[in-house]
Amino acid sequence: MTPERERRRIMSCEAARARRRAESQVLIDMSQLLPLPSSLRPQLDKPSIIRLTISYLRIHTLLSGFADRQRRDEEGERETRERRGAGARERREEGDRERRDAGDRELGEGREEQKKEMGETDLYLRILGGFVVVVTTEGDMIYLSDNIREYMGLTQVELMGHSIYDFTHPCDHKEIRDNLDLTAGQSGCGGLRDFLMRMKCTVTHKGRTVNLRSAGWRVLQCRGCLKVCVSGPSLTCVLFTCQPLSLTHTLLHTHTFTSHHSMDMRFTYCDQRVTGLLSYRPEELLGVSVYDLCHTLDLHTLTKSHLNLCSKGQSVSGVYRVLVRGGGYMWAETHSAVVSKPRPSQPHQSKPSPPLFVACVTYILSGVEEPTQLLSLGQMN
Amino acid sequence: MRRVGLRGAVSMSFALKNNFGSPPKCRSVEHTRGSPGTRSWKFNNFEHICCILPCNFAGPLQLGETNSLPVSRPDVITPHLAGAMPNVITPHKAGAMPIQELSRKRKGDIDNRENGDAEMEEQQSRSEDDDQQVTIKCFREPHSQIEKRRRDKMNILIDELSAMIPSWNPMAKKLDKLTVLRMAVQHLKALKGASSSFTDFNYKRKPSFLPQDDLKHLVLTAADGFLFVVSCDRGKILFTSESVLKFLNYSRLELIGQSLFDYVHPKDISKVKEQLSASGLYPRERLIDAKTGLQVQDLPVGAVQLCTGARRSFFCRMKHSRTVMKTEDKTIQPSSPKKKESQRYCTVHCTGYMRSWPSTQLDAESDDNESSHLSCLVAVCRVHPNDACQPSREVKVKPTQFVTRFAIDGKFTFVDQRATTVLGYLPQELLGTSCYEYFHQDDLQHLAETHRKVLRSKEKIETSCYKFKTKHGSFVMLQSQWFSFINPWTKEVEFIVSTNRVLGPGHTETEQPSSSKLLDEESKRTILIPGISSGITTMIYAGSIGTQIANELLDSNRVNCSPSSGTSSPFCPPQDRSPMVSSHANTPNDEVTDSDTVSKSGSESASKGATYAGSDTHMDTARSPPGESSQIDLDSMVGPGLGILSNDEAAMAVIMSLLETDANLGDAVDFDNMHWSH
Repeated sequence: MTPERERRRIMSCEAARARRRAESQVLIDMSQLLPLPSSLRPQLDKPSIIRLTISYLRIHTLLSGFADRQRRDEEGERETRERRGAGARERREEGDRERRDAGDRELGEGREEQKKEMGETDLYLRILGGFVVVVTTEGDMIYLSDNIREYMGLTQVELMGHSIYDFTHPCDHKEIRDNLDLTAGQSGCGGLRDFLMRMKCTVTHKGRTVNLRSAGWRVLQCRGCLKVCVSGPSLTCVLFTCQPLSLTHTLLHTHTFTSHHSMDMRFTYCDQRVTGLLSYRPEELLGVSVYDLCHTLDLHTLTKSHLNLCSKGQSVSGVYRVLVRGGGYMWAETHSAVVSKPRPSQPHQSKPSPPLFVACVTYILSGVEEPTQLLSLGQMN
Repeated sequence: MRRVGLRGAVSMSFALKNNFGSPPKCRSVEHTRGSPGTRSWKFNNFEHICCILPCNFAGPLQLGETNSLPVSRPDVITPHLAGAMPNVITPHKAGAMPIQELSRKRKGDIDNRENGDAEMEEQQSRSEDDDQQVTIKCFREPHSQIEKRRRDKMNILIDELSAMIPSWNPMAKKLDKLTVLRMAVQHLKALKGASSSFTDFNYKRKPSFLPQDDLKHLVLTAADGFLFVVSCDRGKILFTSESVLKFLNYSRLELIGQSLFDYVHPKDISKVKEQLSASGLYPRERLIDAKTGLQVQDLPVGAVQLCTGARRSFFCRMKHSRTVMKTEDKTIQPSSPKKKESQRYCTVHCTGYMRSWPSTQLDAESDDNESSHLSCLVAVCRVHPNDACQPSREVKVKPTQFVTRFAIDGKFTFVDQRATTVLGYLPQELLGTSCYEYFHQDDLQHLAETHRKVLRSKEKIETSCYKFKTKHGSFVMLQSQWFSFINPWTKEVEFIVSTNRVLGPGHTETEQPSSSKLLDEESKRTILIPGISSGITTMIYAGSIGTQIANELLDSNRVNCSPSSGTSSPFCPPQDRSPMVSSHANTPNDEVTDSDTVSKSGSESASKGATYAGSDTHMDTARSPPGESSQIDLDSMVGPGLGILSNDEAAMAVIMSLLETDANLGDAVDFDNMHWSH
């Protein structure tokens, strides 16, 4: 090796080192600017810093599109606050329930304070019972609310900037793609989205967190809407809330009934409340298909839900008409889940255990409409 | 200093390689790369470092563990291990070590190590001439690929980043990496300066990726609903978000302070009250277990509160103000025309949870314990897409259309109320009767054919225009679109949905209006005993067309399920069985026989079309003469003016018995498919 070559080598090394050092410094600066907990920052590698920066810039672009509306909201809120104060005064002048009013007002303020304390958004997210996701039409998740961790075990920082397709069930990709498509929602209700997808979940039923590679799937109901941002870099996103479907949260009331079905949706069990609502006796529903109970125009809704049930194990029917014995129909919505035989011996197996039955909770949404109309054979006897 | 150490490390690793020989080295490299420790670390740190250096270091180390490294070796390894190991290889140490310190160390190390990298590359190239070529190849191949992938990934990211930076002009020349990064930092700084929320108290204490307001806005936009806080005891609305205007058309000012029950559908008040009254403790039988889907029988009290929390999810109907501005009037006058009642409400899905504010906040105000624990329902309400918005993509109905549903044998099981205006029949008059009873004889062949087709097709099939007998004896021209509903689970046809379009009044039968009236009257009688009078027999016959087609399907299913029966059935018992048996035994075989049976069934069904009935007769005679004789007789029997023969009664009895057994078998098949249920 010639000394000349050696010298050049050293020089290029120096240059490269300087370049890398500068780059690292810029990246460190960048990570400092990202709104992240300081404890998290050092754990980020270069690509992650850039990934998060991109996500941040994108969500910021999207939100700046909202800025006008937001300002209006804030004004409205201020106004409301004033009005509320006035309202409270008026009521006090009315003379009755003075104490309660004061209590209410106090409560309102207390609540407001408390909201500030715990973070107003925490409240919003808690009410939601799920998390918020913003996905571009290409499938990049540019924002996830940080409470995703509670539901999926994966963190905001882990997921943000990545493609949604890397974390969802391959069989659901087509459906997700369809829902991210700009034109998809036009046929439905003005850009509204409502679909089910399975996402990787590293929290087990017992609350343990497992490695991402052994993550299971969790069914999420995704509802949201499409937002197009035209100012600046064009960005089309779908905002949606993801809520895990679970029947546990259901507090049954008088306008609900539970039922069990075979996998082809024939009743195998139904609770007594159905009699009060639909006038069928539970025993006469046994063996009857759900499809025989529904209005023909809602067949598609139920079929879609049934397909979801077969493929994903859980589903929400959406609104449909259920026929009432003796005539008429009621609007209803059914939440259902496939109950499988538990196999405690082998928790980690690829083959799913055979389905036992379908458990359904049906919410009756309305009263009997057109009670004199007989529509189906099943209503007659 | 460290650099020297690293260089030493590299050369040392090569020395090790020389000592140990290539094959174990290769294996160890593979092994190390696959081990979870290094892999997970790779995600957190610069990939190439972990991929090269750890391989070099960990390789010999593992060998040392398994092969009992010579005593002198550890001494050689230790110096650079001390330098590099804590930062590179052992990720678990990161947990034990204060993160800040670690990061500082690591960041400091980066450059050095990368230099080490570069040097190593050169060393490798220099050592190409060595006898270690195999080792190096094996070692370099994945490394260069990983490097390439890493660079590609970085470049893609940088490209994406540059797209997000508002640049002064879209430059033809691509910006270099460092410039992009610098600009991004500048842009971030600008954003940070613009939004005050970065600096506010909340942010410093618990930084979230988005400012609170933005996130709140995002949540409400995504949820596409409005927020509601309602006190549990009296249902007073304590708070709503401004977006309530968009959904219910009330401004939040109107709502706050009012009772929620004034805005809930009268029939849903009890429902909402029930939800509000239930604080954490509620009759336990009302809760269901997700595992079994059964109601929870007994559960420890604490568990109820814990597992279900106080989450609520329910539907109710809420008033929707129709006028844009004059909303006050609406709220004052609760009585409005009943017609509009249903339109003024929209179904709302409330999801939220019960929250109680501790008494401490209220102590000053209320020292009576009555409201010491004021609980509220905090919920997000989403307006459910109502029926106007409800898309029924599968079955679209226009005013001149109505929907009916047949069982697979053509019996009406569902009739839209609009059918009454078109056909004159009440739904209960049609339900349970066969649609073939109402078809004009001229159309029977075509409709039977379509019926048969639709049972075997997943597509929607359009019938050509046909005549349907109304209650008044006249005919109405209809065109229908039929599709069979296939149960997603069993993949079996459950019923047929027909969307019927009215094309106009058909021509009334000029020849025998009296007979059609007669038929109509008889159609209303129950079909119990076959072969009492000519008219009733006719009705049985018309209805049995559908039954026959249904049986064909069931038979073909059965044949498909068990090929043995399929081979045995076709031509064995045509002598003593009815023609129908032979016809449906043929169907599954192929298309040609299918068309045969179609035309044949046409001949069966077409009572008056003498011409084509004749032509069909030839085909049938050619194939199965014994069946044909009864066939002809049946045909002649259906003719309205003709009398009946006694042997036809016998044939009919045979048919009926066959149909019964078929129906039973069909049920059996169904039960087979329900084996999941138990």
